[in-house]
Amino acid sequence: MAKPRVAIFDFACCEGCQLQIINMEEAILDLLNVVQPVEWREAISDHSDEYDIALVEGSITRPEDEERLKDIRRRAKILVALGACATTGGVNKLKNHINSDELKRCVYGAAAAMPHLDTSPTRSLREIVKVDVEVHGCPMSTREFVNVVRCLATGTTPVTPNYPVCVECKMRETICRYEYNEVCLGIITRAGCDAPCPAGGQWCFGCRGLVDDPNVNAANDIMAKYGRTADDLRRRMELFNSTEARPCPRQ
Amino acid sequence: MSPKKLSLPTMNDWVAALIREHRVFGPQAKGDRFAYDLLGCAADLRLDHDVTILPPRKYLMPPTEVLITFTRSGKFESVMEGEPLVLFGVHPYDVAAIAQMDRYFTQDHADSHYLARRKKVTIVACDVQSASENVFAACMGTATVPDGFDVLLTLVGETYVVESRTAAGDALLALAGVLEDADAVSLGRREQLWMDAQKLLRRQNLRCRVEDLPGLLDRSYEHPAWRQKSELCFSCGSCVMVCPSCFCFDVQDEVGWDLVSGERRRQWDGCLLTQFACVAGGHNFRRLREERYRHRFYRKGKYLHDRCGFVACVGCGRCAAACTSGIASPVALYNSLLEDQ
Ligand code: SF4
Ligand code: SF4
Ligand code: SF4
Ligand code: SF4
Ligand code: SF4
Repeated sequence: MAKPRVAIFDFACCEGCQLQIINMEEAILDLLNVVQPVEWREAISDHSDEYDIALVEGSITRPEDEERLKDIRRRAKILVALGACATTGGVNKLKNHINSDELKRCVYGAAAAMPHLDTSPTRSLREIVKVDVEVHGCPMSTREFVNVVRCLATGTTPVTPNYPVCVECKMRETICRYEYNEVCLGIITRAGCDAPCPAGGQWCFGCRGLVDDPNVNAANDIMAKYGRTADDLRRRMELFNSTEARPCPRQ
Repeated sequence: MSPKKLSLPTMNDWVAALIREHRVFGPQAKGDRFAYDLLGCAADLRLDHDVTILPPRKYLMPPTEVLITFTRSGKFESVMEGEPLVLFGVHPYDVAAIAQMDRYFTQDHADSHYLARRKKVTIVACDVQSASENVFAACMGTATVPDGFDVLLTLVGETYVVESRTAAGDALLALAGVLEDADAVSLGRREQLWMDAQKLLRRQNLRCRVEDLPGLLDRSYEHPAWRQKSELCFSCGSCVMVCPSCFCFDVQDEVGWDLVSGERRRQWDGCLLTQFACVAGGHNFRRLREERYRHRFYRKGKYLHDRCGFVACVGCGRCAAACTSGIASPVALYNSLLEDQ
């Protein structure tokens, strides 16, 4: 079987997820045995519009990006979203809740009026096109990425957990952050990262996005039990899951 | 072997000797809580622990384990893991839970992977010295256990009474040197302690007998409590992951970079998780949170009872402690069903 042709694209992001691929070091050679990269700005100089699999990093913040993404979707047989920016909109979505002019003045000062700073509200890939596979996390989980690549190369469907991070805390026998009355988003966040944050004594900030059917109402309801408020929860959710934290004014 | 007496210094030397000869896992402090881990020295052993975050089940059925290695051309080989180890300081309710696990994994179809590990485990049980906040073992008949261990330790005042029941237990105890027989006073105090355990390990009180639970559930399938409580459920599975008598797992294959050879693994799964009842084609036969929440109690209180003759809960209270929503406690749930009888 011929190696699938793979193209890697980036939109609004820190390119940290692509860097995760480069950071695979020796395993990159294994990766190259399995797939043929034909377009990858961060690593190769070739260009190609002919590919089977598109790996797309970043979120969509400009009309021209939306068109480019739709073009990628038309060409690719399989479109994979890499990392939080692509899967949920990530931290880039923070701006959706702030007035755009105010935001530009705050960030760019006197240069705020420059036309190239005009952007639209942030959207994740699946808010625009059909996404076949999502590799979650900020940065994306390399382990999950490797599994996705192997599955695509063998024609099997990758399985992504659809249960909360708590499962992995239990497997690691981590003491729950709620025992210290901290607000942890693990109760509604998709597992698959092996729960490193609670294991390190830090509440989960939800970088992998929420499970398919998160019980956000219950999360609101239990805040009082831990001496917290619904606002404490919402403010934490805004970081990576602002759409679920409160309705976006754009829509 | 008749019960012996073990002074505290001798106890300490014995544990040290065991650690030199064996891989010994026992309860140790983990932050403000306790967890089983490999013992490096006798001083780390905390026989005064109230309850561990996870039960010792993790050594018999680890969170994830390889079942077979395979090639995509159809060849495969079973992988049997399991090194000899000593579980030291196991509370009676956890001893009872291991006996339940033995039953599940031998009934109908013997699970060779479980048994490969189980055969290599020696259990040194220890009667409870401090009760955890959520414990109700006395309600479930597991505050003390008559068997299921190799050695039983009981702290009576300033000395331990130690009793070996098996050849493996005798071999461990031989490392303690020559021991005095336990005198009548110590044995009397042990009897008293076992009686006291019936009160001590009832921090939560079930308002019916354990035998009544299957019947109670029979009458309660449509009870409003299922819906009410499950509204707060995250389907996070904490309640089942920490349970010493839960044994569900999922099986997944993963191929290596050669895309030919791979491993088949099982990992903990549980009926509270959304995907648990998903079958081929994507149909989920327990789609609602409420159905999943209810199922756990029926599974433990009725279905397994009908199949094995015991309620699959030993009253350790771990689920109640692990549930961030405070809805997982079997005592609270059963008592609320009882109110409307
Ligand atoms: S998901 Fe995180 S690491 Fe990946 S590109 Fe976005 S900000 Fe960077
Ligand atoms: S620390 Fe967070 S993720 Fe871990 S069990 Fe507690 S709520 Fe769940
Ligand atoms: S624990 Fe939460 S924040 Fe940490 S990596 Fe996992 S999903 Fe991201
Ligand atoms: S159901 Fe709860 S109390 Fe009963 S054995 Fe399991 S964890 Fe312990
Ligand atoms: S009952 Fe509690 S611990 Fe169990 S799945 Fe629901 S929220 Fe999680």
